[in-house]
Amino acid sequence: MADKNGFFDLSKTTLSRRTALKGIAAGAGLALAPGFVRYSQAQSSAPIKIGFQSHRTGIGAAYGRWYEKTSAAAVKAINDAGGIGGRKVELVIEDDGTDPARGAEVVNKFAKQHKTDIVFGTLFSHVVIGSAPAAGENKIPYFVVSEGHHVASTKLNRYVFQPGITDVKSQIQSMAPWIAANAGKKVTQIFPDFAFGYDHRDYLPPALKAQGGDVIAQIAIPPTESSFTKYFPQIPAETEVIYHVMVGPAVLTFVKELGEFYGSQRPQLFGFIDSLEAVDINSPGLEFLDGSHFWEGSPRYAQPDDSAAQKAYRAAVGIDDNGAAVGDPKDVSTAAHMFGCWETLYVVKKAMEDAGYKGPEDRAKLVEATEALKEFAEGPEHPQGPKTFNGKIHQCFGIQNISKVEGGKLKVVHKTKIEDGLYEAEGDYTTQAL
Amino acid sequence: MAVSFLVLALLPPAALDRFWRRRLSLFTVSDAPRAIVSLISFAGFTFLAAAGLFGSRDPLSNPLPLVVWTLLWAGFTLLQGVFGDLWSWLNPWYGPWRVAACVFGLQPGEAKPSRLPPWFGFWPAFALFFAFAWFELIDPAPDDPARLAFAAGIYWLACFVAMFIFGHDAWSKRGEFLTVFFSMVARFAPLERRDGRLSLCWPGAKLFAAEPLPPSGTAFLLLALSSVSFDGLSKTFFWLGLFDVNPLEYPGRTALIGIGSFGLVLTFVLLAAVFAFAVFLGQRLAGDAPSFAKAAGLLVWSIVPIALAYHIAHYLTVLLVDGQYALVAISDPFALGWNLFGTANRMVEAGVVAGAESAWWLWNLQAGVIIAGHVLAVLIAHGLAWRLHPQASRAALSQLPLTLLMIAYTIFGLWLLATPTAG
Repeated sequence: MADKNGFFDLSKTTLSRRTALKGIAAGAGLALAPGFVRYSQAQSSAPIKIGFQSHRTGIGAAYGRWYEKTSAAAVKAINDAGGIGGRKVELVIEDDGTDPARGAEVVNKFAKQHKTDIVFGTLFSHVVIGSAPAAGENKIPYFVVSEGHHVASTKLNRYVFQPGITDVKSQIQSMAPWIAANAGKKVTQIFPDFAFGYDHRDYLPPALKAQGGDVIAQIAIPPTESSFTKYFPQIPAETEVIYHVMVGPAVLTFVKELGEFYGSQRPQLFGFIDSLEAVDINSPGLEFLDGSHFWEGSPRYAQPDDSAAQKAYRAAVGIDDNGAAVGDPKDVSTAAHMFGCWETLYVVKKAMEDAGYKGPEDRAKLVEATEALKEFAEGPEHPQGPKTFNGKIHQCFGIQNISKVEGGKLKVVHKTKIEDGLYEAEGDYTTQAL
Repeated sequence: MAVSFLVLALLPPAALDRFWRRRLSLFTVSDAPRAIVSLISFAGFTFLAAAGLFGSRDPLSNPLPLVVWTLLWAGFTLLQGVFGDLWSWLNPWYGPWRVAACVFGLQPGEAKPSRLPPWFGFWPAFALFFAFAWFELIDPAPDDPARLAFAAGIYWLACFVAMFIFGHDAWSKRGEFLTVFFSMVARFAPLERRDGRLSLCWPGAKLFAAEPLPPSGTAFLLLALSSVSFDGLSKTFFWLGLFDVNPLEYPGRTALIGIGSFGLVLTFVLLAAVFAFAVFLGQRLAGDAPSFAKAAGLLVWSIVPIALAYHIAHYLTVLLVDGQYALVAISDPFALGWNLFGTANRMVEAGVVAGAESAWWLWNLQAGVIIAGHVLAVLIAHGLAWRLHPQASRAALSQLPLTLLMIAYTIFGLWLLATPTAG
């Protein structure tokens, strides 16, 4: 696999999955043979075990594959630098099948069978929401990289954190100033008619209004729709910006038909890269996107002004300048999201070291230490950019990238400020009992 | 394409028969090492099951799910279709059974009549294949290494016991579903071994000599086809839309257990009903009907190339990507840093199935295989019909409904490849 995860020198330092996962077998053996205990958690030599709830199969498998690569690279980097509090880190992967019920089962397995220190990793919102109660019941800290608003909404529980990626509400809100100032003030939204689209439907209008803009039409497309031409006449003629967040296999058709509908005279186009995550931007049919803009969490393409930390991160994970796997240029990464795995693991490291974490008996201390975190400086541990952390809602806030499709690449034209994405806290997890 | 079907259906059967009977004799192959090969295979199976229990928990790092689902089920089926009945050598029961038979002083041959009642037919294999398909397609976590190790281990043991109760040959031929399935697929292969001598024949030629299957065998073959078809169908926007499931927010396998179970049964019932109706109508059209059961049991052999074609088309991408993961995993089955076959650090190129160019190649390959499978099926059905109706015009007439069914199934297969799917 593309696990050529040399941190600074791709040609030499390599990390295969089996290296990253070395020791897991012993962990599984221990779980099955309780009488055979090689070392106890209390001993300082025992590794920190991180249960990695991963979309190995199911609808999220493309994300899962890249989340695994990024996490394995981060663990290697952490271990090469001495581990967490002097202890090595070990990832134990369990497949959640991108299935909420299976997700909860996996969290229980981590807590009871594998006895991992924490649970980490998953992306799809319904899996996070389905698994969160199991984390709460087992009182095991659960660090997700989901970008959903569910953590920050404070509707989950005190054991769930999202410190490595911003949430969708913050992302959408921070797009509004740039859209109103640069693309246009009259916006028509086209989104799929389910929860993912509703976030955009609900969070953009107030944010845009605050910037003097207006959402003049909202067009919801049924999720199973495969042809879109019939919806386009609903786009008001005075529309200056089409804000689109279509996802799924019909995205290419959507773009192609939109191009046929407008020809060369089109409004500005603004989208979220979620529509085309892991898809080559130069795929046939996507030509119409040339000159349009996208939100990106972390840029897919290498940028001229990339920091040393960003370059090191890309090399460690094994993505080339086009955001594809080194050595496999057709394997386009999920660059906009997967950096969150890297950054989350460094937050875990920081929080564990702050808490003086020794083992599962210190999980409550770990929760409090995580809640006490305030900010993360940009650097090798946080290559996407600086972040603040709100311990009351367990959510980080950071910068966002707005990229223009230019010459078959995504070029970052604007970076938002952290303040653009801040909002009023909707609750406070710290008032919940541990 | 429909025209080509009709042209084929109207070919003179006698000429066709002569054509298919051609053989090119190659060399003699002794089956003396069969028990040894099977014992080695058994050792490999035990090793893999241990890896399933004690190796990595990651289904893409643990060799057990990758070997069972990708190399054996998706891949080995193709080898059977090309090289013939390799499974009779590689199955992990024969060797251990021979050893046990020696130890307990049992007769290895089939000297005494089997205690598996004849009326059982292939129903044990049918039931077990259904359970297997359910586990593969509907169970929430068939890739979970430990879960699969238990399932495979229990199945191996249960069959081993059944071989003692009912006789090795009887249980292998009518109870152990993998042997039944693989031996049916092997009938398609362009290699034939008769009296120890290996010869080359046309693909599917061996199907002409097949004996009519009993109703249970007919049902088994139809289930093999319908289950793979359902796997494709179950992920389509169309199918999920019927149950108001949003494919873009796919709720996961657990939430779809009921719908999936229903669909697995439904596709089998529909296919069986349509097949039976087509055979029945064909018999009526031809007039001089041999019994319906005999006609269905003989003509069902023409399903083999279709089942094989669907299998290839359906599992092609899995084979290309997960096959690479399998190569990596078998070198380090217990995640201990081993490199048994030098493939542990091999790079997995997931991009092999990504992008527009790959999509074009894959689609054309899949579509080509499906069309070729159906064309061969029509040819074979035509030859088999001639055995039922020696008069050429009646044979041709009897084939009309089945030919129409195969055209419809081709269209269905191509639609499955083209229609939007979840995941």
